[in-house]
Amino acid sequence: MALTEPTTSSRRGIDFEALKARRGADIPGQIFYGVILAGVAVAFFMVGAVVWDVIDKSWVIVSDRFWNFLTSASSSDPAKAGVVQGIRGSLLIAGIVFLSFPIGISAAIYLEEYAEDNWASRLIQVTVRNLAGVPSIVYGLLGLAVFVQSLRGITGGSSVLAGGITIAVLVLPIVVITSAEAVRAVPASLREGAYGLGATKWEVIRTQIVPAAMPGILTGTVLAIGRALGEAAPLLVIGAVGWYTTGNNDFLDQLQGAFTALPMNITYFARDVAEIWSPHAAASSLVLLLLVFFVNLVAIVARARISKKLGR
Amino acid sequence: MTATVPLRAEGVAPQATGPTLGARAVGGLLEPLIFIVIAMLVALAEYVVAGPIRDFPVSNFWLAFVLLALADAWTWPQSQTMMGTLTGQYIATTNGEAATPLVIAVRQLARFGVLYGVPVLALEFDLVWAVAIWLICGAIVWRTPGRRAPWDLVADTVPVTGIGAVGQVELPVLRSAADLQLDPRRTSQDAMAGRLMFLAGLVSVVISALIVWNIFREAWAFVAADEFSWGLLKGRGWFPRRGEFDVGTLLVGTLWVTGIAMLVAVPVGLGVAFYLSEYAPPRLRRFVKPLIETLASIPSVVIGFFAISFITPTVLSRLFDDIAFQSVLAAGVGVGVLTVPIIASISEDAMRAVPMELREASYGLGGRKVTTALRVVFPAALSGISAAIIVAISRAVGETMVVFIAAGLTGIFNTNPLDPGQTITGAMASLGAGTDEVAGSGIAFQSLYFLGAVLFTLTMLLNIVSDVIVRRFRQVY
Repeated sequence: MALTEPTTSSRRGIDFEALKARRGADIPGQIFYGVILAGVAVAFFMVGAVVWDVIDKSWVIVSDRFWNFLTSASSSDPAKAGVVQGIRGSLLIAGIVFLSFPIGISAAIYLEEYAEDNWASRLIQVTVRNLAGVPSIVYGLLGLAVFVQSLRGITGGSSVLAGGITIAVLVLPIVVITSAEAVRAVPASLREGAYGLGATKWEVIRTQIVPAAMPGILTGTVLAIGRALGEAAPLLVIGAVGWYTTGNNDFLDQLQGAFTALPMNITYFARDVAEIWSPHAAASSLVLLLLVFFVNLVAIVARARISKKLGR
Repeated sequence: MTATVPLRAEGVAPQATGPTLGARAVGGLLEPLIFIVIAMLVALAEYVVAGPIRDFPVSNFWLAFVLLALADAWTWPQSQTMMGTLTGQYIATTNGEAATPLVIAVRQLARFGVLYGVPVLALEFDLVWAVAIWLICGAIVWRTPGRRAPWDLVADTVPVTGIGAVGQVELPVLRSAADLQLDPRRTSQDAMAGRLMFLAGLVSVVISALIVWNIFREAWAFVAADEFSWGLLKGRGWFPRRGEFDVGTLLVGTLWVTGIAMLVAVPVGLGVAFYLSEYAPPRLRRFVKPLIETLASIPSVVIGFFAISFITPTVLSRLFDDIAFQSVLAAGVGVGVLTVPIIASISEDAMRAVPMELREASYGLGGRKVTTALRVVFPAALSGISAAIIVAISRAVGETMVVFIAAGLTGIFNTNPLDPGQTITGAMASLGAGTDEVAGSGIAFQSLYFLGAVLFTLTMLLNIVSDVIVRRFRQVY
């Protein structure tokens, strides 16, 4: 029989339907697909359950006095307590973290554009990777030893300044790693074109690489802000308080005095075994989730606009 | 052969155009940072030499101002300042000549004083004074023709983008693009930028060194303390204030939490990864992928609250009758929820990196989809998948807030996951939350650092192992 005439062929080629029918139903395949779908369903359920639970448990407050909850200070009376100090603390921390972005982005550009294969750049690379894996509470110990105790003169002890710097240190490796990825993804043609026109390295970076990597860098910085808003463990070690009743007026006092943040509020509300504060924990969780999602949304919109502007 | 090439048209008086808004923004962010970094470095030096500083000497800042003003005057070429080399700004006198180093030193000192010295004064005195001085300066700027800055008035200078007749530079005749590199203005800018970025890279090295130095120094102080004996590490439980440091209690708790978390996260995470990489049609992929990112962005405190308000009462209490309000099991499941996105996204990346040819070869040999996924893609991606699991374990070991909220934190030795328990991170958080009470009470407070050292070493080892696995077993296609 000639090779050009396959036995199980119609005029169109191999008859896959017949082949499939001969093999019978793909039972292991069906089972495996079912297991995988179950995994996806559980992941969906997790997200849904968290959101539903937070909204459901906080409904007492959200439906009744949400604005009041957002704008009042902490109080020992469950009907009056609010989280305005927590929101203020979290936003201040996010602002301080923002200041560390130039350092992180510069380090990423150094690693991708300048670093030659010598011990100095390898050391930087290894330490950045290791720092990204250090648990957040260990950063709290660093903050306690250096920013709270040694530099008490600047930070005023357990203050939002100390907390903000600690969290800025914590998110620095995230910013470096994501920005480095963004810089690496810039096509070599852009670089070579600019060099070909006689640009110096710094000019190539300023006019080509940074603008082209901007969407990726933005994603990284937003991830970092989101992480900074939700991080509680270092603040706990540094000595942020769960809630306090005195109001600080002076801005410097606010930076150097006792402080709280949204995650700290949630922690102390949630740890109450009697569950009187359970709605408060849920409501502050809702506020935190809304903040994080809002930040992410801003990033998505900004990234889309920048990408459009770059014509990609 | 050289020719005189003015940076601006010859004879044109310096224009007070100044740098662009973007360059101003860069300068405005970097300059104060540089001062803070210099002052902190001085403080750190003091700290290393003389131990903890109770009162940060403000003189550090004045020292930083003088140092940078002198450097600005005498280091940078062509009447530029440090920021000027980045932003392309020059300093000229009002009669159109390039400023001498002395003039620049005066100008920079005045500038630092007004911009950064005033807030430093506020640290010592009151914010009101700072605001008042700034308001007065603002009024001066407002009233002078051309809105010149106070420091420019003091030194009688103008910032310009290029220097005209006076600032001519000797440049070689341009023959090729490479000759452009010799423009001293651009090369000095370039060198400056490179140095600054290297310094930024060094920041992470400094942070690592500080972490290791502080944690291990205090941990050593714990071990070397008079009250300490190795026998204290074995006892009835973890009660630091009573001087009982049974590390075994914490290790058992940590093992339980991590084990339970992996039981939850590995199947779910791998299922999602297989779905996204092998099965999902593009349209559904665009829907499932953001979902995983959403799960990743939920803060751990919220998951902690979720663990005691939903996981225990709604899910676990139906399966186990005698579960406590706070339990190791609930904390473990909560940590599992947190680590699902880690396993899912890293494993998915590993699976997608497996080249299409391998799948096509499998199909070509008559392999089914399930065979291809499990016998071809899975082994090829195994190094990435195991790295994902190890990273997730490291994250679970270091996760604090879920445990602090949901695990109950009793120091009694306990192997039943349905009861409250204690982990390394939980113990650290409880010690830290009571920092003010324990501070100074010596050994109990230092046990915090001892645990920190244990945790740091543990997670570091896990991260190294995952790195080694990825590097050794990575197949290069």
